[in-house]
Amino acid sequence: MNEKLLEIQGLSKFFPGVVALKDVSFDIYRNTVHCIVGENGAGKSTLIKILTGALRRNAGRILYDGKEFSPHSTRDAMNAGMSVLFQELNVVDQLSVEQNLTLGLENSTFGFERKSTRTGQVLEVLRSLDPTIAPQQRVGELSVAQKQVIEITKAISSDSSIIVMDEPTAALSEEEVERLFAIVKNLRHQNVTVIYITHRLAEIFRIGDFVTVLRDGQIIGTRAVSELAGSCASEVESCAELIRMMLGKVVAERYVPSPVDRSQRVLELNHVNSAKLRDVGLELYKGEILGVYGLIGSGKTEIARAIYGLDEVEGEIRVHGRRRRLDNPAAAIASGIAMVPEERRTEGLCTKLSIRENIPVMNMKAIARLGITSRRREKGLARGFIEKVRIVARDEEQKVALLSGGNQQKVVFAKCLNARSAILLLDEPTRGIDVGAKEEIHNIVRELSRGGTSVIVFSSELPEILNLCDRIILLYQGRVKQVLANGSDIDSEKIMHVVTGAGEAGNAS
Amino acid sequence: MVQSRRIGFDLQKLATLGVLAVIVVVFSLLTPKFLTYLNLNNVMMQVSLIMLTGSAMALLMISGNLDLSVGGVLACVGVMHAYMSKHGIPTNLSILMAALIGGGFGILNGLMVTRLQITPVVATLGTMYVGRGMAFLIARWDGGANIATGLPRDFEALGRTMVGPVPLPLVIVLAVVLLFIFVQTKTVFGRFLFVIGGNRTSALLSGVKVNRTVTLMFTVTGLLAGLCGAIFVSRIGTGPPKIGTGFEFDVIVAVVLGGTSIYGGEGSVLGMVLGALIVGFVANGFNLLDIHSFYQTLFKGVVLVAAILLDQTIKRRVA
Amino acid sequence: MRAKLSASGLQKLVLLGILVGISLVFSFTTRGFLSIPNWSNILRLSSFVVVTGAGVTLLMIARNIDLSVGSTLALTHVLFAIFCRAGVPVAPAILMTLAAGALIGFLNGVLVVRLRITPFIATLGTLYMLRGFTLIITGAKSVRENLPKAFSLLGRGSLGPLPVPMLVILVVLVLFILLERKSLLGKYAIAIGGNPLAAELSGINVKRIVWGLFIIVGILAGLSGVLIASWMGVAEPNIGSGFEFDVIIAVVLGGTSLAGGEGSVLGMLIGALIVEVIGNGLNQMNVLSFYQSVLKGVILVLAVLLDQNLKVRLRRAAAGEAVSRERA
Repeated sequence: MNEKLLEIQGLSKFFPGVVALKDVSFDIYRNTVHCIVGENGAGKSTLIKILTGALRRNAGRILYDGKEFSPHSTRDAMNAGMSVLFQELNVVDQLSVEQNLTLGLENSTFGFERKSTRTGQVLEVLRSLDPTIAPQQRVGELSVAQKQVIEITKAISSDSSIIVMDEPTAALSEEEVERLFAIVKNLRHQNVTVIYITHRLAEIFRIGDFVTVLRDGQIIGTRAVSELAGSCASEVESCAELIRMMLGKVVAERYVPSPVDRSQRVLELNHVNSAKLRDVGLELYKGEILGVYGLIGSGKTEIARAIYGLDEVEGEIRVHGRRRRLDNPAAAIASGIAMVPEERRTEGLCTKLSIRENIPVMNMKAIARLGITSRRREKGLARGFIEKVRIVARDEEQKVALLSGGNQQKVVFAKCLNARSAILLLDEPTRGIDVGAKEEIHNIVRELSRGGTSVIVFSSELPEILNLCDRIILLYQGRVKQVLANGSDIDSEKIMHVVTGAGEAGNAS
Repeated sequence: MVQSRRIGFDLQKLATLGVLAVIVVVFSLLTPKFLTYLNLNNVMMQVSLIMLTGSAMALLMISGNLDLSVGGVLACVGVMHAYMSKHGIPTNLSILMAALIGGGFGILNGLMVTRLQITPVVATLGTMYVGRGMAFLIARWDGGANIATGLPRDFEALGRTMVGPVPLPLVIVLAVVLLFIFVQTKTVFGRFLFVIGGNRTSALLSGVKVNRTVTLMFTVTGLLAGLCGAIFVSRIGTGPPKIGTGFEFDVIVAVVLGGTSIYGGEGSVLGMVLGALIVGFVANGFNLLDIHSFYQTLFKGVVLVAAILLDQTIKRRVA
Repeated sequence: MRAKLSASGLQKLVLLGILVGISLVFSFTTRGFLSIPNWSNILRLSSFVVVTGAGVTLLMIARNIDLSVGSTLALTHVLFAIFCRAGVPVAPAILMTLAAGALIGFLNGVLVVRLRITPFIATLGTLYMLRGFTLIITGAKSVRENLPKAFSLLGRGSLGPLPVPMLVILVVLVLFILLERKSLLGKYAIAIGGNPLAAELSGINVKRIVWGLFIIVGILAGLSGVLIASWMGVAEPNIGSGFEFDVIIAVVLGGTSLAGGEGSVLGMLIGALIVEVIGNGLNQMNVLSFYQSVLKGVILVLAVLLDQNLKVRLRRAAAGEAVSRERA
């Protein structure tokens, strides 16, 4: 009954400057729920993209039902019986439930849809999963959880043997999560194998049969969940072993305390509320490096966006003690706040332009007088930053699009450094960047704080937080759960408990 | 294709220059009338209006926007200038007001695009029809289909005065083109246009006041289109509302031929000048060879599509 | 519990209300506005927009657009006259004209689907190319001599009390409403416009469908060309500029979103009638066509504004329960 359905052997994937996956091997058994966990940047997405045909692998092979499997597109993978539930839902809001379920699979005469027995069967499956969804309802009116059910229904009824779910509970309420779990657990009995990608450790124990842990692009191990649970006395300790696997030995070995001036509170958030944030409050002192840590969906980026004026929020934001209305980034910059955004290519840079042209944008006064730019000063500025931040490029005229990820990020940093703000927000500053550049960027941050700049690091990489930050704010589901001071006695496992909600009542079953 | 090291020539401009050279050679071989002073003067006059509006249109397109209303604005403002001059407003004042009215259309466009978030194509298409309709309207008010009589004597001054050997409009165009090249390459405003066109989100996150900048650019475009209207009617000495049909098209083709991408983020005013010369010489050559203007319309359509296609293929190869 | 009246049904009722309201207003200013001959005229004149609009509605639902329909109208109607003048019997002439329209649609398809040029720009280009071509083959002169009597039959004839164009509208409307609501083509158009990625992943051949829609629009524009040539009795190479504009107004007024994913052929009909009624009423009040031009510009912008405003409001409401967009 439980033979191998997917055999992944020696899978590797490289990007310029980054090893995303290295020699990954594990097996997935038929009709099981196989969880894949790992921190951000561990390689989960890359693995799934290769499995589902969105990316080509560089080495290794995949055996699907014993046969070589090399999908060239998501469509290929789907034809082979693999359905994927992405985080961006693939339903057509403007069509009805029934129309979505039959999309692409209709029986037709002369181009007009004909009801068939298939339709009845699909609706039957839908009813078994969630009887509250009416077939004629417009999908746009359904909740996220219900749209997921529709996608699952479609997958089941198109005879998929594998359903891949990518962080499916990110946007669901607790009730909806329960319903999803019931469905997932049942799928095993319907001849479906589920590959379940998640951050949330508690979920693994709820629905998983097997769990594979990835870290830094490599397999740490694959275990049967029963083994994990059985070998320990309580839930908490099973989590601990898993956490240990995910993080390795996390020691804040590079942490150096910054010179913090606690008499100066440069930034303050009080009772900030929005769609995703619940009563968030924080304080930032001069010269401090503050860390904000949490999993996907915890609200990190929302806080950054609120401070930078991108989102409207309720509550109070004080800069240098004065209450400010930060309506847009220009206002934030004028108040002395600069941000390195999450996506360097789509948010941080104009990739068509050169290094020289990108750097001055946040603070044109550095190269212009009375609105007129000086090419000489601009070149000087660019060269200065190239040296200071150690950007590897032919010269300042090189188009940013051609730089590696790490160097692109350094250009974004240079942009913000040019703004000479008192407060710097860093949103996932070293995501997808090679180790060398990571270290260099961390050193830049430390130097900044030594110079009196106050920094907030929003990151989902715990080692980064522990290496850099003086204080750490832990977020879970939009709430500040705990504020810790960093030090040699910091307990990363306890931190994981807090941010995965493992310590929440009702989440451990 | 992108801002080069100096204001000198990069590959794209070199190619455009090459095409221009070929066209000049070909036509001068085909007809002896081509390379005469009179003819070249003629071409420059035709082309000058394209270059005048094109300067602003190039910058506007660099910012990722588009203005289809310039032809309608040209007509409306031109007729309005004729009307005002005829009915007692001193000609020079009328010219000033004409430019301001053009600017008014521009502000309207800018607000629709930035505040109401209507796509530039739809917004300016709407303005175009409004402008053209108003042109006919005003001509009607004057009592006829065309404002041809009763215009003051100095009406044609703008179009016909000479500054030394050079007609006044050409001087104006030269000044404006140089100014806009300066703005493009040496000002903060110009840099912001590139950034907005290159990556609007990044521009916003960098604190650029996107809405304000874009609205200003639309206003300037409208202003120049209005000025073109005033120059045009003073040159022909009457105010017929049918003028400027297809003008927006000529301007856009000139800008695109000059290396500006319709997706924004790159381009140049200097390139537009070359592109305008190509458009002008081709039209002129066709006329001299007695090829019907209908072929020109056909040709222009082909050129537009080909230019965009080329733009896309090259981009895709680099991307 | 679903309400009997959907949002789109409500919108159509509102449109109908506007149409009735405007008609009533004009009935006070003009005698005989509500009479059969006047309405017969209105229907006849709106037929050109409605026929092309049926196809453009589907095309815009699929998130595309065709700005060249005016030039297509011009070219096809000239071709129709030329064919008839050359002695081709009317019926085959009509078929040949429709084939020409299909060819034009195919060309648009090549530019948009194959060469992947933005529809706005691609059809703007064909707009000029076709216009130029039309002027070339006619030498900018109208085609009026030696046209057979049957030429005007379609445009000016009546079957009983019903103008023939109205019968054509009826057939086209019925066909396209069926297509929109019941056929796979309609469903796929909505899918492509609503969520192109989902459509692709569901196995829909997006390229083929979009290409097909362009061809359909071309054929319908050709049919409009036949109707208008027949109604005018001559072929004027300069007609049709602004036609694309009229069509788009009718389509957008009728509830089709510029962003695709939704729209209605029936709504387009009411939208076209509203525009035609306004034109007709203003004409009879001796209001100059130039004012009408201005008015049309205003209506277009207002319609788009309303459409986008609604969308923004809906989107903001949906953002409250947004899926987390943080990436792994």
